[in-house]
Amino acid sequence: MSNSKIGTTEAVLIILTVIISHSILSLPRDMIVRTQSATILNIIYITIICTLLALLISKLFKKFGNADILDVSEYLGGNLFKQIVGIIFIFYYMVSSAILLRNFCEALGLVYFQMTPVFFLILLFVIGSCISNRLGFNVSLRVNLLILPIALVSIVVIFIANFKSFDIQKIFPILGGGFKDTFVTGLLNISAFEGLKYLYFIPPYLKEPEKYKKISVLSAILTGTYLILCVSIILFIFPSFFTTNEIMPLYSAARYISFGNFLQRLESIFMMVWILSFISYLTIALKFAISIFQKMTRIKNTKSIVNIFGILTIAISLFPKNLAVSTFLETKIYSYFSIAVIFIFGIGILILANLKKRKERI
Amino acid sequence: MKYIFKRIFIFAIIVLLLVAFSGSYKSLSIDKLAYVVAIGIDKSPSQGYNFSFQFTNVTSSSESGTAEKSPSIVNNVEANSIGSAINLMNTYIGKRINLSHCKVIVFSEEVAIEGISKHVYTLMNDTQIRPSANIVVSKCNAKYYIQNSKPILENLITKYYDIFDYSSNFTGYSADATIGDFLNKLECDTCNPVAILGGMNTENISYPTDITENQSSSIKANESTIFGKRGSENIGLAAFRDDKLVGELNASECMAFLNMTNQAQGFFLTIPDPEVENNYLDIYMSPKKPTKISVKITNGTPFIKLNFYFSGRIYSIDANRQYLDEKKLEAISSVCDSYLESAFSDYLYKTSKELKSDINEFGKYALSLFLTTNDFNNYNWNENYKDAFFDVDVSSIVESSILLTET
Repeated sequence: MSNSKIGTTEAVLIILTVIISHSILSLPRDMIVRTQSATILNIIYITIICTLLALLISKLFKKFGNADILDVSEYLGGNLFKQIVGIIFIFYYMVSSAILLRNFCEALGLVYFQMTPVFFLILLFVIGSCISNRLGFNVSLRVNLLILPIALVSIVVIFIANFKSFDIQKIFPILGGGFKDTFVTGLLNISAFEGLKYLYFIPPYLKEPEKYKKISVLSAILTGTYLILCVSIILFIFPSFFTTNEIMPLYSAARYISFGNFLQRLESIFMMVWILSFISYLTIALKFAISIFQKMTRIKNTKSIVNIFGILTIAISLFPKNLAVSTFLETKIYSYFSIAVIFIFGIGILILANLKKRKERI
Repeated sequence: MKYIFKRIFIFAIIVLLLVAFSGSYKSLSIDKLAYVVAIGIDKSPSQGYNFSFQFTNVTSSSESGTAEKSPSIVNNVEANSIGSAINLMNTYIGKRINLSHCKVIVFSEEVAIEGISKHVYTLMNDTQIRPSANIVVSKCNAKYYIQNSKPILENLITKYYDIFDYSSNFTGYSADATIGDFLNKLECDTCNPVAILGGMNTENISYPTDITENQSSSIKANESTIFGKRGSENIGLAAFRDDKLVGELNASECMAFLNMTNQAQGFFLTIPDPEVENNYLDIYMSPKKPTKISVKITNGTPFIKLNFYFSGRIYSIDANRQYLDEKKLEAISSVCDSYLESAFSDYLYKTSKELKSDINEFGKYALSLFLTTNDFNNYNWNENYKDAFFDVDVSSIVESSILLTET
């Protein structure tokens, strides 16, 4: 692994990169479709659950020092199990980021580059993240530290600028589709907290490992707060999003912003910020996929495999035949996949490893 | 050797990306684009529609400077859909139509009665159309309306369309109805959409109109007594049920609508003078605080209670008047209250009984009465709104006149 060490803020921002990139696409709308007017209530509910899960993850990692989930799985099931876990996580990182990349590029192409094949847009993003990865993790972290707060501010600006158009009454009926939809099937919205996947791999990178618990809890709470902000923008402005699917709901909300006759069409600025944050997200995802691969194969120099992972990302992102398939993968398959890998598989390994440790002590 | 290969690779990538993105760049070249500022949709004598496109002459406006008025061009084409109309027009003008500066979309009354959802959805599906583009239902031909929409105090038609709805802020006689809001309300279970009501003023109208009332607040587009250089005018609102035009609101009803939806900033109110018979007072009213709206459902019927709070200043003044006398001001306030209560009640019952359309978005206040969306959908607000009854309470305080308080 690299010698780069991550501070608390940097670690939290790494986790937030995922939610920011995903929320620009269809995430808030998908959540609203699932839980309707009760989405904010549902987010509060799943934030509490995710905070508890994040606490659980940090507690389960406590006995393993600075180990990540690969070390834990090696301890649990030997090298073969470590390889299997590594492959699953690499697959998850690569597929999730490639599908989001495809959808983001499709949307970007539809809005701004109608004459440009989506391949070239994907290529542009992958080149950016490959260059960033080749320059080292420190560079990626600093760029992330610079861009992510701007991306967060962009969402706050959309919220404030549209505030006068908000119909707070749309928070009712308070239970939306009903108790079951909000609290049982609504649990699927937990996939929005997929940024917590980085919790499994950041322990060896932390400057202050004792702050791991703080990072976990803070990330979950901030993700929840951010989601409330995004969902409020859409829920309180657009009744149409219950039935009409727009490619990027937050982009649509940004189109409503104008300050007098002079400051209009600000959505291009937002889009520019989101493009940068998306490159940042892709860089981080690629970095962690490469790190897992490095740990599995014990190769020393990762620079040589950056381009291969970049090409793999392009290949996976070009795999969906069209926008309909990639949207289906993002909105339907992605949620189940994230829940299975992060909240069932990951936590499952940690629980079993802890049980093994307890057994050894006895 | 490795260094040379790296250089060649980087160069090749740059060239590749330049070529790939040049298509998108070229398609946005200003020389190849024709900017549409307004679209008009009329029913054609055959089965399709007659689409009118108003263009600005970009070259002419940049060459003419600011002093000279830049002419606009209106072309029209008959087609079955907006897409095919744009295609035909592109062929005719030899350029690519760009809708990113389209400020107004005009539907003729005939088209609006038939339903405009397919046009609204199609336009909103276009990345170029702004959600802030105004939507107008014209009492006359949409083509005629656009042709007569000429800037008289501005140099450019785009400038005129930019400030198109500005006067609604202080007159209350029109509203800022946009295509973005229209789409949202079209999909909404608790409300119905509205559009600006447009038409021609008397001087330009080619057929006789029936102006029955003298009150200026009772007028609407196509029936006003305005004479001016510009033929088109916007007074009142067009009310829709779903996507179909179901009625028109005159100036005072539009003012009531703006107050119900908390969009009014101020308006002139003409009331009978409590002191002098057959005399009228003009009072400039401004909402003091947002309208308080509460909805109850009694025996399955919506009961809507509205509380309005206004402050006013007397604008019209004559000799021998004392507008610092509290009793006189109270009497005027009381007349304002009863006048507005009656006007608002009439308007509300018109929307529920006659139009059967909740354009005021009262449905959203009923949402809290239901626990789940299914319960609300089963209640069917839009269907029950026609049975709604209202309790309007206006509390206005006329503070004084403006500069001359006693004469």
